[in-house]
Amino acid sequence: MLVSNSSPDAASRAALRSLMEQLPGMSAVEGGGYLEPVASNDPPVLRSAQIAEGSTLRAIRIPTLSRPASSEFEAFLDGSQKVQVVGHRYGMPIVFGTASAVVRVRVNRRMITWGHQPPRVERRIFVPLRYLPELADWRASSLGVEGAQWQIIDTSTADRNGDYPSQHPAVLIERAIRAVDVERETLEDLLAEAWCARGDGSLYIDGGISRNARVASSTCAVGVIKSHRTLYVEGDALRIVLGLEKGERSSVFRVSPRSRSSVMSWYLRLRDAKGRDAMWGLVRVEIAECKYQLERADEISRWVLAETTPLSLPDGRWDKMAYGVRDCEEFLRAIS
Amino acid sequence: MSEALGRVVATERRPNTPHEFHFWTAIDSPVGIGTIVRVDGAHPIDGRIPHIYGIVVEGFSYTDLQSPMHDVMGHDGSPTAAGFAATERAEIRLYTAAVLRQIPEEPLQPVPMGQVFLADEADVQVALRMDGYLREGANTGIPVGVYRAGGTDAVIYLDADFLLGPEAAHLNITGVSGLATKTSAVEWLLASLFKHFPDDKGSIAAVCFNVKGPDLCYLDQPGKIEESDEVLYEKLGVEPKPFESVRYFAPYNAKGLALNTFRNNEALLDNVTPLTWGLREVLQFAEVLLNKDDVDAKADALIDFITQNVVDKEFPSDGTLSKNHRVQSFADLDAWFKDVLQGMERKDGESWRTHHVATIRKVRNRLSNISTRCAGLVTDSGHVSDLPFGSFEDRTVYVVDVANLEEDAQDLIFARIVSKLREHLERRDLGVKHLVVFVDELNKYAPGDGPDTYVRKMLLDIAERGRYLGLVLFGAQQFRSQVHRRVVGNSGTGLFGRMDPDELSTPGYAVLSPATRTKLATLEKGQLMIRHPHFTQPIFVRFPRPSVMQGREGSERYPQASEVSLEAAILRALRPLDSTITLPWVQDITALYTEEEVIRARNATLLARPDNVKAYFMSQFRRALPAQAAPRPMAGSIKSAPENDPYGF
Repeated sequence: MLVSNSSPDAASRAALRSLMEQLPGMSAVEGGGYLEPVASNDPPVLRSAQIAEGSTLRAIRIPTLSRPASSEFEAFLDGSQKVQVVGHRYGMPIVFGTASAVVRVRVNRRMITWGHQPPRVERRIFVPLRYLPELADWRASSLGVEGAQWQIIDTSTADRNGDYPSQHPAVLIERAIRAVDVERETLEDLLAEAWCARGDGSLYIDGGISRNARVASSTCAVGVIKSHRTLYVEGDALRIVLGLEKGERSSVFRVSPRSRSSVMSWYLRLRDAKGRDAMWGLVRVEIAECKYQLERADEISRWVLAETTPLSLPDGRWDKMAYGVRDCEEFLRAIS
Repeated sequence: MSEALGRVVATERRPNTPHEFHFWTAIDSPVGIGTIVRVDGAHPIDGRIPHIYGIVVEGFSYTDLQSPMHDVMGHDGSPTAAGFAATERAEIRLYTAAVLRQIPEEPLQPVPMGQVFLADEADVQVALRMDGYLREGANTGIPVGVYRAGGTDAVIYLDADFLLGPEAAHLNITGVSGLATKTSAVEWLLASLFKHFPDDKGSIAAVCFNVKGPDLCYLDQPGKIEESDEVLYEKLGVEPKPFESVRYFAPYNAKGLALNTFRNNEALLDNVTPLTWGLREVLQFAEVLLNKDDVDAKADALIDFITQNVVDKEFPSDGTLSKNHRVQSFADLDAWFKDVLQGMERKDGESWRTHHVATIRKVRNRLSNISTRCAGLVTDSGHVSDLPFGSFEDRTVYVVDVANLEEDAQDLIFARIVSKLREHLERRDLGVKHLVVFVDELNKYAPGDGPDTYVRKMLLDIAERGRYLGLVLFGAQQFRSQVHRRVVGNSGTGLFGRMDPDELSTPGYAVLSPATRTKLATLEKGQLMIRHPHFTQPIFVRFPRPSVMQGREGSERYPQASEVSLEAAILRALRPLDSTITLPWVQDITALYTEEEVIRARNATLLARPDNVKAYFMSQFRRALPAQAAPRPMAGSIKSAPENDPYGF
């Protein structure tokens, strides 16, 4: 998932101009950069998982791992989001958010956009309508500017408990960020579902696959998780995972998060971590439960390892990021 | 409509301007340096969608790789491993194009964003403003080659009004030697010119000076062309055949026996005319042969005196001269000089008619020397065989072969012929209205530095004034930068074949992009870059191989005649006029005469081209025939002895 930090795009600038025409009292925020996603309130945790390969978790060297390493991934999926405070009215923040997602297919070793589902781009304007009553008629409306449709979203609606958010601008901004985050996940899931429905081959998904039941059960989808806020190992198993060497994977285990689908998973070291931190080049792979999961884990590990070239530099996450994912991000940066 | 092959892009750091824009294409697009493209703007201006035509002048390719080190790291330092990567990096083909034309032309704005299309033939005509002179009513297009890119084959036309005048004129060709570019291009262009020059513009002919090698010596002989050339000929509307009318001129060699040309094979001699001049023809161009040290004011005054008062005039004897003189040849002139000097010696005088004896000796020495220095061209006898000034024929090529001559003789030929052409064109009595003069090796004849020679002055004169007369210079050289700036500057049209990189690094080529210069340095045979007043940017074209015999093939098929005897030389010269002449006949006729007399008779016959060649040739000797031996007096009849007088008393 990409969080853009570039300057406002042309569509945002056009929408801002239109908004300022319609809201004479609005104060524009000059030079406001894009906001980072809200970090989870949950602390990093270790969580045990059910071992599906043997009785204890161990390090397994990927067999027949030699050059030329080939990959059978047909395509890559990633999403992107941009959130920016563009102004305020009487202190109430007005936020632009853009969520996007794309599947990029590999043809003759070059990446092109999947033809069956166009890239998705959703644009939103987040306004706390409860605290700006004069804009009440904006509810459930949208703003069309130069071909881009900006849906108006109220950031001051009551939560599931019926509580309204505080008027604190940071709270309202955080709501907008979370909404964009959700929107991005939705778009990613839509595309992943569409891919799996066609069964065109293996899809490399940047992130987990357990969020969506159809994706989580498809043999087409392979999720590769780069962040490890939750580590599905404890005790000796943790030492084994953090001590994995390049080309080694952990035993396969089953991940069954709450409110999500159960998937098979394993850790895989993509790059030599000597002189680096313990998470360097460490990814967790998720696939649907299948019959020959051990052979499948080796096979997919080989594919993921093959995707380590070309490097994804200059992206700071290049140790874990496949070039195809970086291509998705660059594509989304260009269009959204 | 064809599919778009690119999109215009512009950034703050690299914006588009009214004369330049940038676009990207797919990796496999057929765009390259020199490709002509069309941009369709997205937004109308004054109700019209703008169309911008451009030619690609630079290309860039890069990937998202930030540092080469990243690629090394990515493949563990092993280049072979790079080929195994599952994905190739995102790569861009970014091109810079120079604007050829914008429609509408006003207001002139920076090139807008839009789709880029490969120009088709109609687009090329508009882009190069050829539509202006290819329309009905104008029709002055002269095909010069075919622009070829991405499946588009478009004929490129030069505007005759800008090639042969009066709007602009002259053509200059540059290219390295040995790649058959310069001569081939001129041969092709003359063929196209003769075919397509509009009838309503009058007649046209060409005078080509063959200054080196045999390349121009077989213009009337068919050459080998390939199938691809035939396709080009058809596209360009010219028949692949040799020139129908070609006449060759060449002086004799120093002995005067054979013509000093690569084309002196007997099979080709029928249309080779000797080029010989006498005193009268040479004297007015004495400046060409005499350097400034020779021709000081005093010597110049004496030469003027001789030209005005001596040559072709009855010069009476005076106190100094012992007899009347009528000077018509170098021999006569030498006799005149001798008489003057002897007279002065007799009188022990230091000057004659204000001319000092030293000046007279010096001028005698220099002028007498000319017939030696230009032997074969300049005759002592005054015999003249010249180009047909006044009766030049339409669509005819006149080749003057000076390749084997000394520099002095080359300069003299060049200066006199061009002067005569200019005189006749000024008087409108040359025989044709337009004349192309082709001169190779302009480096030598019109150098940018060095002495201000008569020949260079003449070339400058043609370059600057020729177009008003219909006298057009097609000049060629290897190093354009070394030719006088006013000669190349006045050439409206420029052709460039493969160029030497050193030459391309000179300031004159700084206007070309690095990519264009690189392309020029690697052009194939048959490719040219063209600059023409209507084209705002140089264009690359292909032209067909000339359908005439190339020099190398010609010299193999028609080897140069070896040195021959006097009789054989006479036979070779006269047989094209009369095929019944045989060697024994020539030997019989010439046996009693000196070599000089025989050569004079031959020259006279060749000049006259009589119906009865044998009779005419023999008649040249009549005056020289030795006196008939006096008839033997009849012996008196012997009286018959009387029958009855046995002793005869």
